[in-house]
Amino acid sequence: MLFFSYFKDLVGREVTVELKNDLAIRGTLHSVDQYLNIKLENTRVVDQDKYPHMLSVRNCFIRGSVVRYVQLPPEEVDIELLHDATRREARVVF
Amino acid sequence: MPLNVLVLHYKNCLVTYLCLRSLMVVKHASRDRSIFIEKLLVLLRDGRKLLGLLRSFDQFANVVLEGACERVIVGDLYCDIPLGLYVIRGENVVIIGELDLEKEELPSRMNPVSEDEIKRAQKAEREATDLKGSMRKRMEFLDFD
Repeated sequence: MLFFSYFKDLVGREVTVELKNDLAIRGTLHSVDQYLNIKLENTRVVDQDKYPHMLSVRNCFIRGSVVRYVQLPPEEVDIELLHDATRREARVVF
Repeated sequence: MPLNVLVLHYKNCLVTYLCLRSLMVVKHASRDRSIFIEKLLVLLRDGRKLLGLLRSFDQFANVVLEGACERVIVGDLYCDIPLGLYVIRGENVVIIGELDLEKEELPSRMNPVSEDEIKRAQKAEREATDLKGSMRKRMEFLDFD
């Protein structure tokens, strides 16, 4: 639930999603769900020449299970808030 | 099916539902006043690219594609192989992408070829990578680091 809430707060930000098949997609985070499936808008593939089939894809739905990384700009991350939320979550679990 | 019934059915994955539903929106072409539904690109885990009309989906990203075709790309050659009606199990799905009809689907350098030709090109590419792999295996004992 923590990361679901965290991504909900990041909606509207520019992120780069790197997938397990090494495809990296940059776009605006439109929405996220409990499985951490991601919908991106205004997408651009990072290495366009390697993935010609993705040329005209502007919006996409990414299945949560295939995401390796979600890269965020550091200035948009409040790390203390994240730490506190994690501590609270850990207390509840254990 | 009315929207409220579908919402109840998918209440646990409302966001996924709304995401995927927006991909099914029927758009009007401004020029000739005809209605068309956008084609989607589904990328699979094994690297296959399927194009088609999204007809159904669920919270696991299981997908039904109508008029599906597989776009095989080898270098600068490509071919669309028609497949018909496909049901895709969600665990194999990587991305469901909306193709922008205003833009070119593929770079202009790419050439369409027939199914036989693309299959031959695929076989040649597979053999080249196999050969590279086997040569590397033979060299491994030399310990090149």
